[in-house]
Parts: sequence; C-alpha cells; structure tokens
Amino acid sequence: MNEHELERLADRELRRLPAPRAPHTLLPRVMAAVQEWASRPWYARAWFTWPLGWQVASAAALVVLVTGAVLLAPRAEAAAAGAIASVQARFVSTVPDVEAPVAATSARILWRTLLEPLVNYAVVIIVLMFLACAVFGTALNHVVIERAEQR
Amino acid sequence: MQVNAPHEFEAFVRRYQDMVYGTAIRLLGSPAEAEDAAQTVFLKAFQRFDEVVGSPAAAGWLKTTTRNICLNHLSRYRSRWQFFSELTRTDRPEAGDYADSLVSPLSHALDLEQAELREELERALRALPDHQRVPLVLFHFEELNYQQIADALGASLGKVKTDIHRGREALKGLLADRT
Repeated sequence: MNEHELERLADRELRRLPAPRAPHTLLPRVMAAVQEWASRPWYARAWFTWPLGWQVASAAALVVLVTGAVLLAPRAEAAAAGAIASVQARFVSTVPDVEAPVAATSARILWRTLLEPLVNYAVVIIVLMFLACAVFGTALNHVVIERAEQR
Repeated sequence: MQVNAPHEFEAFVRRYQDMVYGTAIRLLGSPAEAEDAAQTVFLKAFQRFDEVVGSPAAAGWLKTTTRNICLNHLSRYRSRWQFFSELTRTDRPEAGDYADSLVSPLSHALDLEQAELREELERALRALPDHQRVPLVLFHFEELNYQQIADALGASLGKVKTDIHRGREALKGLLADRT
C-alpha cells in the first residue's frame, strides 16, 4: 500500500468513526460554571464583558491617566530635582565652611576612582544575572513542573 | 449576554456538547482534559452569547474555539519537546473512559464486530502520542491541510507530514482489518 492509498484509507475509516458523546457530567459542570461566573460582580469579570458605559469610562480614565502622566512628568522631574537640591544645600550648610569643599572633593575622588569604573560592570552583571535567572526558571518550568503536571 | 435566559443557553449546550467534546477528546486524548476544555469553550460562548446564539456560524465558532483552546492547552501544559518528540505518552486514558464516552446512535446499527473494530480504532487513535495524534486529527477530522497544520502547531511542513504518515502507519493494522 503506497502513501496515497494509506491516506485515502485512513481518511475513509477515520471519518466513519462515530462521534464521541459528551459525558453526562458535562452539562451540569458547564451550567454551574456559568452560574458562578454570572454571579460575580461585573468588575470582577473580563473587561470585554463589562457594561458598555463602564468600558467607555474605564478607557477614558486610562487615556486621562496616561496623558496626565506624560504631561506632568517634566514638572515632577523638576520638583524632584528641586527637592534634592534643597536637601543637598541643607547638608552642605551643616558642614563647616572650611571642610565642605574638602569633603565634596574627597567624595568626588572616591566616586571617580573606586565606584564609577565599576558601575558599568555592575549593570552588565545585574542584567546577565536577570537573564540567567529567567532562562533557568523557564527551563525548570519545562523540565520539572510541566512533566509533573503530566503525571 | 442573556444571563436571564439559562434555558436557552442550556439548550445551546445540549445541542453542541457532543461536537465540542468530540473535537476536544480527539485532540487531547484524555476525557478529563477534554471535559475541562469543553467547559472553557462553553463559558466563552456564554460570555458572548448574544453574538453566538443566533449566528449561523455558531458551530464553526465553537469548533475553532475548541481547537484553539486544545492546542493552547497542549503547548502550555505538556512540554514542547515531548509534544513533538518520539517519546511515548504515559498518561493514556483507561479503556473504561473510552467505553463510557463512545456511545453513538450509529453503533446500534452496526454489528458487534464492526462496532468493536471501530472502538478499537478510536482507542488506538487516542493512544497515539500527541505529536502524531494531533496533526492526524487536524487533517482527517478538522479538514486542515498540511500547511495549515504546520502553522497551527508551529512545526515545519516536513515534520507534520512525517508525523501524520507515522500516525497512519501506526493505525494501518486496524485500518486494514476493516477493509
């Protein structure tokens, strides 16, 4: 029997198989699930099933939120910068006038010699560790969890 | 969604439950998983009952939704390399599950030997490993072509053809007995 004949034979015989019947437990299960879903408040259901008015209102609120965030971001940044500057000024004013430039210079030298060269490496290491964790987690999920679920 | 029309929805479920369950059990090979999938399908149908109930495409929508849910289930809960590998399944359903689910009006019209052979063929189909059964069912029952199956499963065309051929070869003995 060649491949084409086998395909035709399989097609004919498989299509002749009677349709499997649903078990008697399916209908009660479905109706119970539907009742449970219908008894939930509208806001606890999927968004696309919300009443139309609430869908429109929530979409509008989201647009307002995003627009507001975009518009207010520069102002928030400026306010944060101002707050940091005032804290810095207060800190500097507590250090005696003679020692302030020395402390600032020491801190700057310390930053530039010891910390600044390491920042890039630290960022790279953090990103690599994050990626390694993600890969390991995914592999673990496939190998252990999904196989356990099959048993 | 017509929450106040439970009888209408119940009639809808009664009408289509065999089709949805039949598609699910042939794709998933497990009665318990097929029942879960069918419940998910009908819950989705209920959520958009107004659109689905009166539509002439309701059966098609249910079939497509069932197929998508089953394929998602297979790819999510069974590791891909087992799905598309030569490993044999260890979670095959018991023969009793099959006998419970396969009672068709057609069976009454057939003689016992023919019915037994068909039961055996159905059981053998469900016992095929996922990577052979799923494309075979999509080809012969869902009427998808090879390319559509490859797209649906995210596999190569050659892989799909090979798996379907091996699936048919595995069933060949039972098919030949029936001719």
